[in-house]
Amino acid sequence: MNLTIALARLLIFPGLLFAVPTAWFFLWVERKAVALMQQRIGPPFMQPFFDFIKLLGKTTPARSGVSGLLMKAWPLLAVSAAAGAVGLLPVLPLSGGFQGDLVLLLALMELPSICIIAAGFSSRSIFGEIGSAREAVLTVSYNVVFLLAVVSIAVSQHTFRLEALAQLPASPLRWLGVLAILVCLPAKLHINPFSLPNAEQEIYSGPMIEYAGPELAMWELSHGLEWVAAAGLVATLAVPHFAAGWIDSLLFVSLSFGIVLLLSVLAAATARLAIDTTARFYWRCALMFAGLAIASTLLMRLRA
Amino acid sequence: MSYKIPMGPYHPALEEPYKLDMICDGETVSDAKLHIGFNFRGIEHLAETRNYIQVIALMERVCGICSNIHTLTLCQAMEKLTGIEPPLRALYIRVVMAELERLHSHVLWAGIAAKLMGFKTMFMTCFALREKVMDVLQAISGNRVNYSMNRIGGVNRDIEDPLALLSMVEELEREMVHTIIPIFTTSTTATLRCAGIGILTNEKAISCGVVGPTARASGVPQDLRRAAPYAAYSEMEFDVPVEKAGDVRARLLVRALEIMQSCRILRQALTKMPSGEFNTGDGKIVFSTGTATSRVEAPRGEVVYSVSWKENSRNPARVHVRTPTFQNMPAIRWMVIGARLADTPLIQASIDPCYSCTDR
Repeated sequence: MNLTIALARLLIFPGLLFAVPTAWFFLWVERKAVALMQQRIGPPFMQPFFDFIKLLGKTTPARSGVSGLLMKAWPLLAVSAAAGAVGLLPVLPLSGGFQGDLVLLLALMELPSICIIAAGFSSRSIFGEIGSAREAVLTVSYNVVFLLAVVSIAVSQHTFRLEALAQLPASPLRWLGVLAILVCLPAKLHINPFSLPNAEQEIYSGPMIEYAGPELAMWELSHGLEWVAAAGLVATLAVPHFAAGWIDSLLFVSLSFGIVLLLSVLAAATARLAIDTTARFYWRCALMFAGLAIASTLLMRLRA
Repeated sequence: MSYKIPMGPYHPALEEPYKLDMICDGETVSDAKLHIGFNFRGIEHLAETRNYIQVIALMERVCGICSNIHTLTLCQAMEKLTGIEPPLRALYIRVVMAELERLHSHVLWAGIAAKLMGFKTMFMTCFALREKVMDVLQAISGNRVNYSMNRIGGVNRDIEDPLALLSMVEELEREMVHTIIPIFTTSTTATLRCAGIGILTNEKAISCGVVGPTARASGVPQDLRRAAPYAAYSEMEFDVPVEKAGDVRARLLVRALEIMQSCRILRQALTKMPSGEFNTGDGKIVFSTGTATSRVEAPRGEVVYSVSWKENSRNPARVHVRTPTFQNMPAIRWMVIGARLADTPLIQASIDPCYSCTDR
């Protein structure tokens, strides 16, 4: 992949120019779906965009004892990382990619979480610090399952290239992996029942407490981009491309949309769990998935 | 590492301003201190400057949720001082109002508890149902919050067709049984958040002197409607639900069962309502010198009014109120010690605190 194509993918499609409106759209879908389930009207279609613009127009008051540069840097880093992750997704068939781009995608998807942890501690608010500590515990818990699932899919299909993964037919282990990734997504996206780091009623939204104006807008955007990247990753792994051009892309987008709806339903139907219950849940998932993955590998060996 | 974390006076988990300072080790609370007085309005002093008609309207504004209970208790105390006996129909109407208010208070509490668990869908469902209870209250009194129903010697408005309200009550009961109670008792995430947290043992409940559902959830079977019946409660059949576990789930269950009992009482009161006058008319009211107390089982527990009067005076010499939250709040400290920080909003809310009543 040469530099021009890489830049085009990052900035135009499926990078920023495609990803940002999609992020807003997904944020709207989530809010609207939850609202409809709660018998509310919900926000108008353009609301996430309006929110973003409105926040951009505000000025942030100076905070004493806090490094302003760091506070500005974390959300920007989170947005760049999430946009980069979306840029790597094989939305269009035959879009290129390189060996190992799956690893880069995983790293980029992890960066926003790390930024949130750092931002909470940089804010020097007790609520931010508790939120960051929770985010750290949460990250360690769900990532065991998440990484295990992604890596086992890649290893079982002998490639770390997204494009190739998208084209290979699905195996039972792959479906198991997709299921495990889906279980991790609510924690990754901080929605119920795992909305612990940003719990308003407990710790005033945790790491976000000291953020306002354009910086908060960036966090919102990075959250939306994370939705796109996460839903996109599942869509890539769940539906193999069959090289029919735009149909693949359409399938990709509609599946992502379906995943957002599914997660919204889950968020609306559950209460928030406590951190120890969450950690226990994910470690149990990890154990279960590891057992199943080993069993499935052994079975495949035996068959071969 | 131990650190102090304040909850309040302004906090998304609190309906009203008060403050809980917690000492935490990691996510575990090791000690807590409660501060109140953020909502002091001097109502007790104001009451001494108001006459016997104005004081009822004033005391109604002590609380936005149990407004009827405050006027009921005050009127009962003033009736003792004047020697006026309200007619039987008025006593039945008072029971109807008190039970509707209990329904609305418990459903509101269930909504707040759901919100604190991060269960916003449940919050919306509870508040939609609460609207329906308020519709019934409005159908009776014309008001949704401050009902202005009680007066010395009876009530201000009659329930002209009690049987017409039965269908509304039955619909409320159906919704409670089919939506709210099952979700709270069967939802896995809700159960995980409530069971085994904020435990108040039976001994601690007795030594703290807690009242109302908080006491009944710790196995203390006390209910003034049964122990010292007022209004027409002596003629009603109902059970007093008691749970032994003493945790947040027990408090939730007690309230859920009380909702069912309230519906049962409402049905009896509406069907058995005797005919006749609903107040003693507009005759001259003469107070005798002395102090009268009155106790009523509010949705949150026992409310006590102590009213002192001097003969020939139009204004009370002293009106003292003791609200159930005042009795229950010291128990919060014992409930939160050892709890996870994430559970503290839910634990403090499990006593259904009302600080505007407490601060007055």
